This record gives sequence, C-alpha cells and structure tokens, in this order.
Amino acid sequence: MSKMSLIERLIIPTYNNEAYAHTGRVTIDPAKCSGCGMCATICPGKAIRIVGHGKDKLAQMEPDFPQCMSCNDCAAICEREAISVSLTYDFGYHFKILDRSTMKPPRSFKEETSGADI
Amino acid sequence: MPVPDAWGGGGGIPVEAWKTLMREGGMGKTSLSDSSVIAATARSGVASDRETTKQASPCEEWNPVEKTIFERRSVRWYKSDQVPEHLVRRILEAGRYAPSAGNSQPWKFIVIRDKTMLEEMERDVQRTCKLFRFFLDFRRPGVMGKIGWVYSQIFIRILPHELHPIPLGAIFLIAEGKLKLFHGAPTVIMILKDKRGVSNPDLDCGICGQNMVLAAHSLGLSTCWIGFVSALMKSYVRFKWLRRLHISYPYELVEGIALGYARGNPNKMVERETHEIAWYENGRRTITY
Repeated sequence: MSKMSLIERLIIPTYNNEAYAHTGRVTIDPAKCSGCGMCATICPGKAIRIVGHGKDKLAQMEPDFPQCMSCNDCAAICEREAISVSLTYDFGYHFKILDRSTMKPPRSFKEETSGADI
Repeated sequence: MPVPDAWGGGGGIPVEAWKTLMREGGMGKTSLSDSSVIAATARSGVASDRETTKQASPCEEWNPVEKTIFERRSVRWYKSDQVPEHLVRRILEAGRYAPSAGNSQPWKFIVIRDKTMLEEMERDVQRTCKLFRFFLDFRRPGVMGKIGWVYSQIFIRILPHELHPIPLGAIFLIAEGKLKLFHGAPTVIMILKDKRGVSNPDLDCGICGQNMVLAAHSLGLSTCWIGFVSALMKSYVRFKWLRRLHISYPYELVEGIALGYARGNPNKMVERETHEIAWYENGRRTITY
C-alpha cells in the first residue's frame, strides 16, 4: 500500500491553496440541464448554483471555494442525468487520498468457471 | 494507462492540478511502484479491465439486501410528512440486533419528533457554529481573515479530524444559515454511547446506526447521518442539553440519524471510488481494485 513520508504527515496545507488541495468538481451537460435546481438544493456542500433566467437557467459550480465532496448526490437526483462528478476531492498532503482508483458503479462478480488465476 | 485513472473519471482532470500532483511526487507514491503490482498488471492488463470481463451490473442481479445497500444515498431534503410510529419501532429493532464487541450493546436511543425541540437544537448549533466561525474563517478579507488564519493553523493541528476541510466548510455553511443541521427531517434518532462498553463502543454505535439506516431505506424511508450533534456537546449549551435529554454518566451523545420521506428520487446507484485491495492467496500477494 502507499506510504506517506514524514514530511507529508507533518504539513497541513492552507485549504484555499489550489496547489496543495482541491475540492471535487462536477461536469454539467448544458444540453441536458434544465436549470430545475434540484442538484443545488440537495448538494451537502452547497457547491452548485443556478445562473441565468427563464429557459436559459443552468447549473454551475460555485466559483469561490466550492465545497464539493464528490458524493454524487447531484448525479443521483438529476432526472436528466445532466451532472456528474468529474474529479474527486483531495485535500493535499495532510489528507492525501491514498490507494484509490477510478469511480465505478456497483459491480457484481460471478463464480469463475474457467479457473483463471488472478 | 492506470496513472491518470487513479484520479477519477477520466475526462475532467484539470491539467494544472495533475501537473502539480506529478511534480509534488504525489502520484509516484502509489502502489504501482510495488513490484508485485507490476507483475500482476503485466500478466492481466490493467486491474479494471479484468473486472469488465466478469462484471454484470443490472439491478435484477442484486438480492434485496444488496439492492438496499447500493441504492442508499444520504438524503438531505425531506418532506414534512411525519414517519409512522410503527416504522420507527421497526428501525429501532434493526438497531437492537446489531453485533457488538462482547455483545455489550453499548447504545441507547433517543427519538425526537418534536418540531420545536429540533428547531431549538438547530438554533443552538447555529449559534455555536457562528462562534467557531468568528475564530476560524480564514476566507474573510482583511484583518478578520488573518485572525482566522492564525487560529485555524493552531486548531487544525490540535483537532485535525474535527477541523478537516469538509466539516470546517460545513461549520461555515451552518453559521451562514445555508445548511440546516437536521435538513428539515421530521424525526431524528440520537444514538448514545455507553462509555463503559467493551473495546470500542464508538465503533459498535456505528454498526448499530448503519443497521438502522439500511432497515430504513429498505422500508422506503430515507436517512442521513448527522455527526454535528456532537457540536451541541462541545459548545456552551452542553449542560442545557444534557439536562434536557436526561443524559448522564455513562452515556454520551455521539451521533444522530435524520429520518423521513425524501423529496424527489435520490436513492439511486451511483459510481463510487474503488479502493485498493491486497489479495493474499496461494503464497502470493496481488493488488486489485
């Protein structure tokens, strides 16, 4: 498993410094988004806001330190599948995300009949 | 190529963020430098490719328990309809049957359905968060931001878990009134921990709570873990609430679970990060995800 060095364990970055720490990011498909605002209401970090008027309303990430925790609540509630997480958050050395890979939906595994080794 | 994959999704990685990570050597420290991983990936291709050959994710494949687990989302937007009493009793039964160290069952439940009481708790937590925010908000311009920076540098080192960026952001949002503590839920279940429990009573309370959460979702209700009730216990209103809820030694309030009917359709399967799994079998160690 990955190890953290001693320096990494001691340094706490300031949270609004983009070089060391970044919050999550979502991508919004402007063709599908209707600006209904459900994602903005349900976001636990209140990182999404709705801009525009009338038919042009679109969801957008807060420009100013969006507290996105890449939970995918917005993706789950959107009926048009217009929004999803594109970048999971990483709060730098002190809170380094270790040993994680891509995001995947639930996988089911079946019994191996061919006996192939790992 | 596994390296960019490790940072989620593919598409939306900002190039500057990735370059910074590469420069700081963050990525070089992943398990890909482990020689057994190189061997495994050379043999079988990228670990994620292996799973696609035996993956099957349509919903009909899941048994009811798995379906509840995979579709569960924490819900923060509730209808005002009150939850029927018999459903709350069923959920508490599921909590009663949770495993615990030495069968010590170090938990007690408090169920609050009284709107005025919940609102009073929310107000108290908001006032406490305003006080914390006064000292810790480093985003404000000018001298207040500097004060915030100094205090946050000190307190983040003393309490690194409570003042992790995400709860810190939640403190600021609650103080500003954008985030309500109980998210408008009609019922809240508080879990009290018995400090005299065997081994690790906090963990046992978590296991009990998750039993209740899964039972609630299988019954058509929705829940959200509320960890911020501990802010009530760490603030100047601590003794008021200890008296009001009749909590005394050996019990301590650890968590809350908001319970209600969700607005919209938030309980859906989504993607989640894969975590490294070290597999020890046949005298070999392999890494998979």
